Amino acid sequence: MTDSNETILEVKDLKKAFGDHEVLKDISFSVNRGEVISVIGKSGSGKSTLLRNINLLEEPTDGDILFHGQSILADNFDLRQYRAHVGMVFQSFNLFHNLTVLDNVVVPQETVLKRDAAEAKAHALDLLKQVGMEPFINAKPGQLSGGQQQRVAIARAEAMDPEVLLFDEPTSALDPEMVDDVLNAMTALAHTGLTMIVVTHEMAFAQDVSDRVFFMDEGVIAESGTAEQIFEHPQEARTQEFLRRYLTRA
Amino acid sequence: MKNRIWRRALGLAAGLAAALALAAGSLAPQSTQAADDGTFKVGMEAGYAPFNWTQSTSANGAVKIEGSSEWANGYDVQMAKKVAKALGKKVVVVKTSWDGLQPALTSGKIDAIIAGMSPTAERRKAIDFSSTYYASKLTVVVRRDSKYAKATSIKDFNGAKITAQLNTFHYEAINQLKGAIKEPAMNDFPAMRVALESGTIDGYVSEVPEGITAEDANPDLTYLRFDKANGFKTNPEDVDLAIGLRKNDPDKAKINAELAKIPQKTRDRLMNEAVANQPSSDSTSNWLVALLKQYGPMLLRGTGMTLLISLIGTVVGFLIGLLVGIARTTPVPKSKGKRGLRAIGNWLLAVYIEVFRGTPMIVQAAVLYYGAAQAFHLNMDRTAAALLIVSINTGAYISEIIRGGITSVDPGQFEAAHALGMTHLQTMIKVILPQAIRNSLPAVTNEFIVNIKDTSVLSVISVSELFFSAETVAGQNFQFFHTYLVVSAIYLILTFTISRLFRIVEKHMDGPKNYNVMTNQMQVETPKIG
Repeated sequence: MTDSNETILEVKDLKKAFGDHEVLKDISFSVNRGEVISVIGKSGSGKSTLLRNINLLEEPTDGDILFHGQSILADNFDLRQYRAHVGMVFQSFNLFHNLTVLDNVVVPQETVLKRDAAEAKAHALDLLKQVGMEPFINAKPGQLSGGQQQRVAIARAEAMDPEVLLFDEPTSALDPEMVDDVLNAMTALAHTGLTMIVVTHEMAFAQDVSDRVFFMDEGVIAESGTAEQIFEHPQEARTQEFLRRYLTRA
Repeated sequence: MKNRIWRRALGLAAGLAAALALAAGSLAPQSTQAADDGTFKVGMEAGYAPFNWTQSTSANGAVKIEGSSEWANGYDVQMAKKVAKALGKKVVVVKTSWDGLQPALTSGKIDAIIAGMSPTAERRKAIDFSSTYYASKLTVVVRRDSKYAKATSIKDFNGAKITAQLNTFHYEAINQLKGAIKEPAMNDFPAMRVALESGTIDGYVSEVPEGITAEDANPDLTYLRFDKANGFKTNPEDVDLAIGLRKNDPDKAKINAELAKIPQKTRDRLMNEAVANQPSSDSTSNWLVALLKQYGPMLLRGTGMTLLISLIGTVVGFLIGLLVGIARTTPVPKSKGKRGLRAIGNWLLAVYIEVFRGTPMIVQAAVLYYGAAQAFHLNMDRTAAALLIVSINTGAYISEIIRGGITSVDPGQFEAAHALGMTHLQTMIKVILPQAIRNSLPAVTNEFIVNIKDTSVLSVISVSELFFSAETVAGQNFQFFHTYLVVSAIYLILTFTISRLFRIVEKHMDGPKNYNVMTNQMQVETPKIG
């Protein structure tokens, strides 16, 4: 599914520590346009921290992150523009509680991208329709189920026309019967050629949709490869053990 | 004459302002003279009949009250007119609460106090007094049908149960009544009248004008006329009334000369007229109807003023609180210089909040209104001063409420907004503040309700809000229980209405708990047509 070999994002020797606790130890990889990367691993292995460093919700302790070859840590780097181009979908949805479903998707377009109201609204309605949330555009987030909220959150991230979308365990907070709706929406997105980095516990999704899979353990990428390499022929012992536990449980 | 300790305790606030101003005054040359514009500004409560009271017409030679549609009359007003005439000036009555009289004089807001005030040694420290313009006498008020009604001397009270007002020289005077039983002192005259009527006591020591008023108000009571030899021995400082003046007032000699020209006969006539003209309670059988008929407009204006001050105070205080709350929750900037600026700003805001939360509003009002006038010649309109005080005070409280509202918003909301590329300001305006304000609304409602009640302390700077009006009414009709009962009801109606109103607003902001696709789909389709 990789359209080209153009590198969008490059992570170089990334380290992150909270006090004495080293969560990320020397992580390096690059992401090409159109790639879908799944990041799997145990809880506490640093998956979420990695994503949060990529859009600077957390500040790296050391190392660098390049976006189109430019360091996002440089003083003169336009962080807001960068964030507008690198979307994020959270485990806990984080829809704006004070806004309706429609406004959740419209307002960021207006404030950040300076789109005019009509254009933003047309775009939002189109995307909400794609995730099946059009009937709920006047609802407030509190009136929706978790799965419905997450689909709105995906539409919100999509509305910014991002170059890269980061997913931070998007289905972990959902009831099992709602997981499929969200995964379907994500799969559809992946098929449009959007670049995605997905932290997930959904092994089926990782296996079926990803171009590459990273297995993280204790703050490092212990093993990476195509979905087939990781799931069919894992080389590392800890990858094998993780997969054995996960796949038998599922 | 009016030596009530409890009032003095309230006056402490004003005293603090005066102390502050005195300190500042010793640095700057003192010239707190009111502008000489041909007026003689006289401060009085306009609520201490028969000396001074408020009425709604100009009848019987009343004088218009400054900044009001009401008139003042009484013995003090008639005296003020005579004195003003001798000075060749036009008399202006400035309605001022008892505690505010001295600071108003020393700060130059008024030229003289003619308010039934006695020239005590303590008062002489701060202000000067003219010669006596009315000399009162002590008397005993008794039931008309009791055996003591026939007493002609202070020696005729063997076995009588007598009381007097707490913390007054009246109470000490009971010792002069030979053989009388000294009952515990009571708080106010209405209470003593009730005790007397019910037979709990046989009499109370009072002064002649109050005795006349008591007799007038209740035909079952009478006061005793002792002749000089058989009456109480009193200190002139206690029973004489004099005009309060600023120290070194150049007009003092002229005023004393004019007072000397008014013989005792004229004084007695003026007092009799005042007693005859003083507003008497309506004899309608229903006290509520009578009260509302006579004083309804005054109480209504007071209610309006209370509502105005608390509403504007809360709205402006809310805006102040919003700005301060936002400023105090801005993220720590990266550059060192900006970080320092932020620290200084936050420190100043913290000082503002602590100072205004940590001092009583009554003191703040006294400092701003009387203190600033005395020390810096800053003459403020009292309504403006009231609005300013309430706003700043409310702002200090609400900024902490808003800060709490902001910190209680889920951090995920900030993260989502930042991850979308919103600036801090955009995040605050579009996402955080609407939620923070919704979270803060119950506490803000509380502030509004507290403001409605607490504006009552502004009577210290004579703002004619509801409590000030109530004091005026009660001072005239002596129906303390009824008047304050009605006023309590008004306060309760105001606060209850406000709290209901805000509940409705909260419900509206929250919307329905469940979302019905069928009913809401109609709304979905409509905007598409346009």
